[in-house]
Amino acid sequence: MELPDHSSEEDITDGLKIVSYAVNSKGEYELIPDFVWQPVNVVNHQAWQEIEKNIAASKDKIAAGRVSCLHYYMIANQMDTSLLAQYTGQPRWKVCLHLLPCIFNRLSAKTLQKYAELYKISPDDLTQGRLQPLIHNHQ
Amino acid sequence: MPDFPHTQSAHCESGVAANLLTHHGLKISEAMAFGLGGGLFFGYLPFIRINGLPLVTYRAAAGNILRQIAAIPGVRMVEKKFRNRDEAMAELDQALAASIPVGLQTGVFWLPYFPKALRFHFNAHNLVVYGKEGNEYLISDPVFPAPVRCPAEDLARARFAAGALAPKGKMYYLTQAPAELELKPHIVRGIRSVCKMMLTSPFPLIGVKGIRFLTKRLSKWPQRLGQENADLHLGHVVRMQEEIGTGGGGFRFMYAAFLQESAAAMQEPRLQECAAALTAAGDTWREFAAMAARLCKKRGRPEDSYPAMVECLNRCGAMEEKVFTELSQWAKQQP
Repeated sequence: MELPDHSSEEDITDGLKIVSYAVNSKGEYELIPDFVWQPVNVVNHQAWQEIEKNIAASKDKIAAGRVSCLHYYMIANQMDTSLLAQYTGQPRWKVCLHLLPCIFNRLSAKTLQKYAELYKISPDDLTQGRLQPLIHNHQ
Repeated sequence: MPDFPHTQSAHCESGVAANLLTHHGLKISEAMAFGLGGGLFFGYLPFIRINGLPLVTYRAAAGNILRQIAAIPGVRMVEKKFRNRDEAMAELDQALAASIPVGLQTGVFWLPYFPKALRFHFNAHNLVVYGKEGNEYLISDPVFPAPVRCPAEDLARARFAAGALAPKGKMYYLTQAPAELELKPHIVRGIRSVCKMMLTSPFPLIGVKGIRFLTKRLSKWPQRLGQENADLHLGHVVRMQEEIGTGGGGFRFMYAAFLQESAAAMQEPRLQECAAALTAAGDTWREFAAMAARLCKKRGRPEDSYPAMVECLNRCGAMEEKVFTELSQWAKQQP
């Protein structure tokens, strides 16, 4: 099968070899260690571009004062309000309220701690509105 | 250090099943575990959303393979779910102290050893924990070439990931496995269950009907969603089909490998023919994926278009219908 042009985009597995099934010359199936098929890289890249677009939009909203910095952490971790609510054990409407800056600024230390723990940041980052990089990057 | 026969495999659940059975002295391949567990499937379920995009699945629901394998006489599997995180981790430690390798269902997002680009909120990943050193667990993750390590805190998070298909700390281990297995009846049973899902499901979203349903929807995406959003949906379909854990071609190649192995084990040339036909179907799926990827990248060739992909998917549907009709006829003739 002809593959689309190989471009400079890096391998999504960071060079990790995976195995996949392929037919050998005798017509028998074999598990062959290989790099990821190029189209997979393309669509994976597309998904991340979409996430990055959402993050940029969230940063703009925060700068405009329309949402609290919690919104950035939610979007950057690919969550929505219902997922965030499940992780922090709160009803969804509360999480929605916490996205509003005026309500977020009055949150108790206990609630802030919950969010900070989930995103592995300090509660200070939240109160100061510091936007830390993605969870993936600081590990 | 505890010992576990780690073999890299293409799909997590069948890989875990094969590795656990091998550890208990019943040596089977991943493809065989996939087939015995009736792992192949197709479903287009737009009412379940993943990152806001409709769910397309090429394999049976999470846990299905293990459940069917556990139902084989002579295999005993203990399965537990938890509400409490500490309790779940304590139970895991207890099993490890008794040197039992434990299978876990986890989310992918919280596993630090996973490649960055694959860390989405996907909760139906399976792995085996076979030991603990200090605060780190020794993990045999079947899609990785070698065993890996994971801090306890992160593993606990991964076990209690929330969202669709939440694992709820699910853990399982084998207590008994037969030393030898008469494969034949189980192969027939596995094939029957797959044929049933692919051909006779009353729901139009499942099986060959589901492929046709997706095709019809896909042809309308550019008008209904706009070009950009349509490409996003398209990319999502390809990711579900080809991303790591599928063995390529939306599990079709893996199932063909199972059919081939069964053909050899049962001296059954008809299965060999079906394997070849399913490989052809898998190649057609790949043709679709390659074309879709070119379109997503805005580097389409002149012949690439949504109608061309629809034609390609129609061929997939027709080919699979033929393969599974042939397989179900074969299965009917078996005792």
